[in-house]
Amino acid sequence: MRPTILFALFALLFSGARAQEILLTDYAPLDAVYGEEWESDELLPMNDLGMESGYLLYESRVELPGGRTELTLEHVRDYAAVYLDGRLLGSLTDARKSLEIDAPGGCRVLRLYVENIGRITYGPEILDNSKGLFGRACLNGEEIAGWRIVPLGIQDGDPAGLDYRPLDGTPCEPGFRLGRFDAPDPAVRYLDVSGWGMGEVWINGCYLGSYWTAERQQSIRIPDGLLRPEANTLVVFDLENGDPAARMHLSTEPVFN
Amino acid sequence: MKNRIFRNWLLGLGLLAAGVPAAAQTCEVDLSGVWRFQTDVMDFRRGSLSPRYNHMLPDSIVLPGITDDYGIGYESPYRHVDRLTRLYEYMAPAWYQRDIEFPAEWAGKRIFLYFERTHWLSSVWVDTKEVSRIDYISVPHNHELTDFITPGKKHRITVCIDNRYRYDTHKWNHAHTEFTQINWNGILGEMKLVAVDPVCIEELQPYPRVADRSVEVRLTVGNRTGRPFEGKALVSVSGNGVEVERELPVRGDGAELRISGRLPLGDGARLWDEFSPVVYTLRCRLLTQAGGSSYEHEKTVDFGLREVAQGRNHVLLNGRPIHLRGTVENAVFPKTGHAPVGDAEWERIMSIVKEYGLNHIRFHSWCPPRAAFRAADRHGVYLEVEMPMWGKDAEPDSARYDFFRREMRAILREYGNHPSFILYCNGNEITGNYDFIEELTATARALDDRHLYSGSTARTRIPSDQFYVSQQTNKGPVKVYEGRPTTDWDRNRESDVDVPVISHESGQRCIYPDFREIEKFTGPVRARNFELWREMLERNGMLDQAYDFFRASGTLTVVEYKAVIEALLRSSRSAGFQLLSLNDFPGQGYAPVGILDPFWDSKGLVTPEQWRAFCAPTVALLRYAKSSWYEGETFTARAEVYNFGASELGKVRIRWSLLDSSGASVARGSLGTRSVGKDGVFPLGEFSVPLDRIRGPQRLTLRLEVGDAVSNSWNIWVFPRNDSLLQSDDRVLYTREFDSEAERFLAAGKTVVLTPAPSRVAGRPSTFHNHFWNPIMFAWSPMTIGCLIHDQEPVFDDFPTSYHTDWQWWDILENARVIDLQETPRELRPFIQVIDSFDSNRKLGIGFEARVGKGKLLVLAVDTGRRLDERPATRQLLASIDRYVHSDRFDPQVPLDETFIRSFLRQSPKK
Repeated sequence: MRPTILFALFALLFSGARAQEILLTDYAPLDAVYGEEWESDELLPMNDLGMESGYLLYESRVELPGGRTELTLEHVRDYAAVYLDGRLLGSLTDARKSLEIDAPGGCRVLRLYVENIGRITYGPEILDNSKGLFGRACLNGEEIAGWRIVPLGIQDGDPAGLDYRPLDGTPCEPGFRLGRFDAPDPAVRYLDVSGWGMGEVWINGCYLGSYWTAERQQSIRIPDGLLRPEANTLVVFDLENGDPAARMHLSTEPVFN
Repeated sequence: MKNRIFRNWLLGLGLLAAGVPAAAQTCEVDLSGVWRFQTDVMDFRRGSLSPRYNHMLPDSIVLPGITDDYGIGYESPYRHVDRLTRLYEYMAPAWYQRDIEFPAEWAGKRIFLYFERTHWLSSVWVDTKEVSRIDYISVPHNHELTDFITPGKKHRITVCIDNRYRYDTHKWNHAHTEFTQINWNGILGEMKLVAVDPVCIEELQPYPRVADRSVEVRLTVGNRTGRPFEGKALVSVSGNGVEVERELPVRGDGAELRISGRLPLGDGARLWDEFSPVVYTLRCRLLTQAGGSSYEHEKTVDFGLREVAQGRNHVLLNGRPIHLRGTVENAVFPKTGHAPVGDAEWERIMSIVKEYGLNHIRFHSWCPPRAAFRAADRHGVYLEVEMPMWGKDAEPDSARYDFFRREMRAILREYGNHPSFILYCNGNEITGNYDFIEELTATARALDDRHLYSGSTARTRIPSDQFYVSQQTNKGPVKVYEGRPTTDWDRNRESDVDVPVISHESGQRCIYPDFREIEKFTGPVRARNFELWREMLERNGMLDQAYDFFRASGTLTVVEYKAVIEALLRSSRSAGFQLLSLNDFPGQGYAPVGILDPFWDSKGLVTPEQWRAFCAPTVALLRYAKSSWYEGETFTARAEVYNFGASELGKVRIRWSLLDSSGASVARGSLGTRSVGKDGVFPLGEFSVPLDRIRGPQRLTLRLEVGDAVSNSWNIWVFPRNDSLLQSDDRVLYTREFDSEAERFLAAGKTVVLTPAPSRVAGRPSTFHNHFWNPIMFAWSPMTIGCLIHDQEPVFDDFPTSYHTDWQWWDILENARVIDLQETPRELRPFIQVIDSFDSNRKLGIGFEARVGKGKLLVLAVDTGRRLDERPATRQLLASIDRYVHSDRFDPQVPLDETFIRSFLRQSPKK
């Protein structure tokens, strides 16, 4: 038997047990959902931009000395994915507000993609309810001045209508990724988002929900009647999963970490 | 120690004068009455020799009761602003004592000392020996004394009740918080000695099975004889026309025997639900022999024939989706300082809940006494109960974890039989180790399938969740805190996750306190905070407006709750909602968010009949785009009906009518006859009303009738377009700046209407809504609780309004700024008066008039530029003002200095 037939048999045998994969083949960059851009010497919380919640991009051109450099933020509300020249360096939260950058010297583009995870409902912090980034942002103790701050209209519409191009093998900066898939199994109820970072998903133009790898719940209920047996569309926006081969799965059961 | 009215000698009397029944029977002796008493504020006796000396306690107290009832403790000199003030604080061990002669006939029996409810460690000494300790908070304490009692002998029974925090649990947990019920010390409810035969029923649990209308009886028999026993259990079910009995053989030789048997109730047995709350009584008589002696024991428990299951979006009761219309109950009992344990008060509460169209209560971070379950069983109210668990209570702490493990099992065992107990959740908004939360929840699910389970409200999801009470899901917000001037929205998309979702703590709209309630606080807690706020209001010169502030903000809360509840009813994919709350919450800064006061009495803001028009098993609903319309526009709406009532509505006629303020019909129509099912929200069709023949300005009421029994109505407003506004002439100057021209007009004795842009006014932001929860706990801007409209003033002659704001005020108040007028003369009362936070009580306004020199000034801090064509009510208000300032009725009396006007205006940018 030829190896391809063997593989097909194998796939057939295990298709019942293994969740169906969804490949994400296309990519649309984020600038399509840029809101009104703000220029500011210092960081501004999203409240100052008239935002209650959602995603923001903070961008600055920085001069790196080369070698190990420490990026430190004063307030992170509540989650920031840090990119240098389009490469993910890590994430920051209010409990972990500094990050070591090991990169050659020179002028580079620092981008911080920020989301507010929730809002405070009670406790002593209740009056300190600003979200986004504010206070000082420093590289090796020296304040970074001059920011471009861009509200991101991630949830403003159906992102399937954006301009997509095929994904090549290079790592992705945050943007929308689109995949097309059939869903022949009528027992499918959930989109399994495990292994991703933090983001939002849509199926067939319907906003499905948000996810975060730190949550225990790693699946999102798909509304009844939304999936078609053939030709469905999945769109994923993720803050920090740059793997161009990353996939999502369909599942018949809810998935928990 | 004060008010001690009983003397020690009373205690010397023999207590068991009542005839003791024959052997081989259960004997109970009521222990209510006078007990010896001693405080132990310094917690010394626990470590001293006193119990060994069999010390006789010097004071006395009457039980059941709490130390507060007798003025025991620290007499608080304070006036707490964030809660009611407890007159006599006591948090320490306290000692209670009685000498009891145990009948000789009790020889061979097991002897228990039973307290229905206490806070929260009780320890029992028999003579000089400590023999038992129990620290449940949600269930009775049943101390076994058997091995330490000699029947026929008198023993000194000394009980220590220690109401200090046994574990490091969140101080806000309603089971023991000072914010609502106080952390009392005492013994409540039934307190008794119980003697039972050594072969007895340890546990009797009914597991109803709907499919074949039977009940599975699970019986645990305890055997203390040390010998083999055998006999029978006569199991019967009675009530509501059912009378069945079955004999189960019992035989065993160990200390415990578990058996179960199924008892068919017959085809005529009725299922339990909110519409048919049929309760049956399960009775078990255990008749056994062991070692030549005969033993007998009997136990009864209530149950309902019902099963609860997890549906797609709803909780299923007997296979049918139910929709929960609930209120959050937070152990608010200021009359007594503790939860009632008797039936009468819980009967009253459950009746009120049903009277206001609700079918559900969530007991937030506490579990009520059995009387609450009994009353809910009888009235058909679905309960969610919780442990005293909140916030960081799931952070690692092995002693605390073990307490929760015990408490969870105790709640299921003690109250699991009650049909009203459909939902169990560990606690409120828990953070910490969710492996522990999953452990608790999975264990509970495995123990008892008569309820649905959830790990925590409004926090992390776990695999064992069968429902989820939350502000939001991973699809967006599901709570509804406030209404909107449109009704065409819902929470369907956000509620559609893998388990049924219940909207968490919706509502929470703050009302100005009604200071007349001060006199109602006659129990252990007093509303000294009300006194502080009232004094502050008096100092600020507005005491005469206290009641107006209350009723204006209160009516706004009713307007909001109608909108909130209807949005939640339109959300057919939601499992229901829990309003916070039908009654006031007297802690966390004091949250008067209820339409009932903390005593469950109506505040007089809305009648139950009016409330049920929008909150009931069947409610007529309407989706429309906006509340304020122009003449000539066409009002369109889609009608729906929410029907989670007992049955289908069948064929019903759908009619609508548009009524003017006198109640006369200006338009009407029919959507024909429709067949309406049950357990959902059903579309009834769309209709439109051309507003071309309606002359504004006026308020109209849209009434929708579904059949003859169901109707609901909504206010809409129709305004003329008012094309010509803000036109200055030689008498009246309209200006946004207080400039030299304005000064000239005023100096000439003319009129100036100043409408500064809100961004140029130094003041607070303006909002339609009254403050969330309360401004002391959530001290965020703008700290205002609605507006008092001086609707009798001539400025409103051409603007349809009441003394309170309704949705026509939306486009005005959302585009305005609030001016602080506290420094103006006392007589000045703004015609749009904003109600300040009750712990600040400053005079605030958006619109006011004054005499400035010889001139006449009217200030309206409302934006008159931004999208004014979309704001018909603002246009109408400006038109009404225009007519007013041109009339001779505009004659401001209160003089105001120009400097004050400048004080609230920011510098305009350089031109």
